[in-house]
Amino acid sequence: MDKLLEQLAHVVEVGKIDKNTPYPPELKDKDGASELTLQAIAQKIDPQKILNNGLMPGMKRIGEKFSRGEAFIPNMLIAAKAMNTAMVHLRPFFLAGSIKPKGTLVLGTVKGDLHDIGKNLVKMIMKGDGWNVVDLGTDVSSEKFVQALDENPQCIIGLSALLTTTMLSMEDVIKAVKYRNPATQVFIGGAPLSQEFANKIGADGFFADPHSLAVHFN
Amino acid sequence: MANIIYKRTKNFEPDFENLLEVLNGQTPKRPVLFEFALNNRIIGQLSGEQAEDNSTRLAPFRRLIKSFEHAGYDHATISAWRTNTLRFPKGEIAEKESHSLNAGNMIYDRQSFEQYAWPDANQGDYDIYYDLRHELPGGMKLIASGNGGVLENVIDLVGFENISMMSMLDEELTTEIFNAVGSRLLTFYKIIAPIETIGACIVNDDWGFKNQTMFSPNMLRRWVFPWHKKIVSAIHKAGKKAILHSCGQLKDVMDDVIDDQNYDAKHSFEDQITPIETAYKNWGSRIAILGGIDMDFLARHTPKEILQRSKLMIAKGIENGGYALGSGNSIPDYIPDENYLAMISAVNLF
Repeated sequence: MDKLLEQLAHVVEVGKIDKNTPYPPELKDKDGASELTLQAIAQKIDPQKILNNGLMPGMKRIGEKFSRGEAFIPNMLIAAKAMNTAMVHLRPFFLAGSIKPKGTLVLGTVKGDLHDIGKNLVKMIMKGDGWNVVDLGTDVSSEKFVQALDENPQCIIGLSALLTTTMLSMEDVIKAVKYRNPATQVFIGGAPLSQEFANKIGADGFFADPHSLAVHFN
Repeated sequence: MANIIYKRTKNFEPDFENLLEVLNGQTPKRPVLFEFALNNRIIGQLSGEQAEDNSTRLAPFRRLIKSFEHAGYDHATISAWRTNTLRFPKGEIAEKESHSLNAGNMIYDRQSFEQYAWPDANQGDYDIYYDLRHELPGGMKLIASGNGGVLENVIDLVGFENISMMSMLDEELTTEIFNAVGSRLLTFYKIIAPIETIGACIVNDDWGFKNQTMFSPNMLRRWVFPWHKKIVSAIHKAGKKAILHSCGQLKDVMDDVIDDQNYDAKHSFEDQITPIETAYKNWGSRIAILGGIDMDFLARHTPKEILQRSKLMIAKGIENGGYALGSGNSIPDYIPDENYLAMISAVNLF
């Protein structure tokens, strides 16, 4: 069992989606995340273990490499694709309640800003770390964040912005969220941001890269 | 005609030789300014012509050149989006204050690649660059930039996440797309670089995010950098200088920029990545460093603070050479006019 799950972690880390995909070249014609997940299910391995000991470690490793500058966004994207392909096979177990997420992250790029790559990376990493992610998309108003909070009362919230101008609206979102529920934690990320800015606008934290957010909760 | 809000000095006369000194890594006889783009409001304020006059083909350029002259530049930057030259048709892109790098894609696979209406880089109104010779004050030259660079245009055409995946799953098609874009940009620069009104060319191609390059350095070396090397070589062959405008964290590829691509100058710096003072210290002895007064700093600090920082950068430039003062990127309309003017007025203190 351990060997199979380790194999699964490896194919997620290197982005081997399934047998037919040509990447990475050194795993040509080898089983990928899809086949190995099906094998694990066939071997009656607990789906929670498949997630916790197979898929999540793979995403964790690529996230750590990304944080250290040893992997790049394309590596993250293909690892997430491998993970998502495997998750399709695990979905029935989620629906049946035999796999439980770590929590819910409501995520969005703030109003006026259509940048989505940073946000999407956070989504990939957090999903890969076992979180349920509610992606509100880009150009998201304070009202939409509050509405999502109402629908997911125990969630944490992540705000993304890339511009000096749009990052200023983060403070409005934080005020609106904290007004609705002072205990809800709000985290921010994006190119022009800093811990100093996070402190100034009342955010609960600033993370320079997506993996740091996952580490914070682990 | 409105009042002109600022003029560098009464007797200022543009002289591109000063900027050339900077691009050669030397100290010019007086401080030099560099800017990639000015917003329409400040162009109006500096030129004294609030509204853009489109009654003739040259009128908007005349206004632009006048604004650069009054601000005290030795050049005026003409971006290709202002001229009817090489442009890669894009799909519809929603615009707010930004747009997504995943939007407006036209190419998804080989079929859409082959069906795409690739522009002919030889077509277009290149005469505009010649015709502007009558509009340039003596000593001033144009700096011409393209309509995006190799990576930027590929990302626009394919989408960032799509090209990321394609680079791993279909290397052959990825190569063909980069070659289709790169070869056309090379033609564009081969046409414009020899034109006498043009003193230097900007190759504008964003490569980085906050923490790292968008693609791995090896991927950039495989698909993007060879085209930059050819473009710089073509610009140099025409006897002109090549300036790289590229945003994001580029520390892992700066040696490529300097030693392999042979750029003469680097533009675009961010305080959250590499503050201009650090960039100048790290690379200033190997490549000219342009601008660098951070956009957020320009937007949110006081004119006094901006003047002080600008003054210090000019002083460093005088001591070590190869530096021209300007913003970290450009002057969009959210930069208060008084802050921009505080920055450029720092040259008058020397």
